[in-house]
Amino acid sequence: MRSLSAPAKNTWCPGCGNFAILSAIKPALNALEEEGLDLDRVVVVSGIGCHAKIADYLNVNSFYSIHGRVLPVATGIKLANPDLTVIGFAGDGDCYAEGLDHLIFAAKRNVDITLIVHNNRVYGLTTGQYTPTSPYGFKGRSTPGGTVERPLNPLEIVLSSGGSFLGRGYSHGIELLKTLFRQAILHKGFAFLDVLQVCATFYNMYNYYNQRVYELKDHDASSYSAALKKIREWDYNSEAQIALGLFYQRVLPTYEQSFSHLSPLVSPEREEAIRSTLESYI
Amino acid sequence: MPVQLVEGNNAVIIGAMYAGCDCFFGYPITPASEILHAASRYFPLVGRKFVQAESEEAAINMVYGAASAGHRVLAASSGPGMSLKQEGITYLAGAELPCVIVDINRAGPGLGNIGPEQSDYNQVVKGGGHGCYQNIVLAPNSVQEMCDLTRKAFDLAFKYRNPAVILADGVLGHMVEPLTYPEDAIEHYIDTSWAVAGNKQTMGNLITSIFLNFDELERHNLKLQKKYATVRKNEVAYEGYRLEDARIVLVSYGISSRISKSAVDAARKEGIPAGMFRPISLYPFPEQEIRSLADRGCRFISVEMSNGMLADDVRMASGCKDVALVFRLGGNLIQMSDILKKIREVS
Repeated sequence: MRSLSAPAKNTWCPGCGNFAILSAIKPALNALEEEGLDLDRVVVVSGIGCHAKIADYLNVNSFYSIHGRVLPVATGIKLANPDLTVIGFAGDGDCYAEGLDHLIFAAKRNVDITLIVHNNRVYGLTTGQYTPTSPYGFKGRSTPGGTVERPLNPLEIVLSSGGSFLGRGYSHGIELLKTLFRQAILHKGFAFLDVLQVCATFYNMYNYYNQRVYELKDHDASSYSAALKKIREWDYNSEAQIALGLFYQRVLPTYEQSFSHLSPLVSPEREEAIRSTLESYI
Repeated sequence: MPVQLVEGNNAVIIGAMYAGCDCFFGYPITPASEILHAASRYFPLVGRKFVQAESEEAAINMVYGAASAGHRVLAASSGPGMSLKQEGITYLAGAELPCVIVDINRAGPGLGNIGPEQSDYNQVVKGGGHGCYQNIVLAPNSVQEMCDLTRKAFDLAFKYRNPAVILADGVLGHMVEPLTYPEDAIEHYIDTSWAVAGNKQTMGNLITSIFLNFDELERHNLKLQKKYATVRKNEVAYEGYRLEDARIVLVSYGISSRISKSAVDAARKEGIPAGMFRPISLYPFPEQEIRSLADRGCRFISVEMSNGMLADDVRMASGCKDVALVFRLGGNLIQMSDILKKIREVS
């Protein structure tokens, strides 16, 4: 079994929820490796933010991309080389603010990639501003009087955008994360996981979450309406219980399948095809 | 006037508030975030608008909207965010809208790091987006100027109905120095009769950058060029240091000019007649002043935290082919000893 630890020095703060995500993705990948997944065919893509350093800490091919652009980069990689297993890691500021449009389109297209969002509900790397999932009234560096915006529910957005796999994890629950990561990577299509990941330095929510989280049981993940009901149970703002687990999964054709009839031509067939195509315009 | 120890990024907001700035739109980015924080703290206290936008693009387009309504708008970012804002900036320039944008330059290209650099020079000074347009660009080299030039940038932006950029860097943004507060807030008459206020009086006003007719667009462009020529004629600002008898002139702006100044003093102690020329306005660039130094037989050394971007402009302005260059990249400050070494070489 291959060690997935990379030599880079870890600079996350003590108590950071990112450690749980890192600790869960390694055994999840190793378990898949035992079942035949070639780890050299795995590509990790990260954005910009504290989460993004995971690209340095995982011993697989990785692409440290641009703030907000994990999904377009991951989509490009998957389309260019559909045999790869592509796993995106993004932050909530990264994916739900600067890059929100890409999230909607990844779900709409159903690209066969996995997206794991480290949702700590604060911009950690820039020292504590509110993000799209910070609760109403959140007091941060740019909202001394408390934010007057209500948070958005990313799962509801992805569901309504056509997402084919939606789940939620919590950084204080590695076993569930391992299960969810495995299911997400095995899913054929866009697999979206919102991970409630605690920023111990700028927004410590451990107590809040510990009192409210529960794992989904007897939930019909094939039912859109059952998923929507569970997803709406907690709106990232209210005092409700917080469901964790797989909310929804369905089988849909993937985006890259629509390109599969385009088999790459080799010379001289390629040259002949180009010539006849150009001649058809004369 | 009160004097207080202030961080450079905070001084920007103090200057903006004295300039009557009433809207701030930003997005978190190191090393500019303190401007966002200061705006969020002070703007609501005095009834001014502050929004942390969902993206850099959203922030600059909020600027576009509020500026078109005649408001005094400020945005701040750093290199990666400035790149994202370029689309909005060219539209603002094309539509002739005033606004002030602060760039706390960090090291690039790409993600680079959060150390200081002056490598956004070409992007900011030459335009940065598509089309033939110019930003007015001012380069502070102290906390005092972070405040004072922000104020001045609002004046110029409204005088010429044009985006004005404060080009600073990560050191200036984070250094703490005594700041003498402005004597008074800007109260003089600001003509916003061109704006679109959503009322009967301004119904007839049109703010646009689209001119589908080729000749009409050419006329619009020529009008812009004429405006830039007026800016070049009237708004050049610079500082000279020990230039009277100087034979070797360091050209340097921003934080690099602080180090250059020390290098001039050190060279003088060795008997080398060195001086420093500091452009305060990077656009308009002080071309004539540099030309007259060249006519006097001065030799130039460009001292910059970029790969000769400033040296190119010094070469063009002076007509001298052999402008020497002292530079550091990657977030490193220039060492005074490196400047001194180059001065000795050239002398």
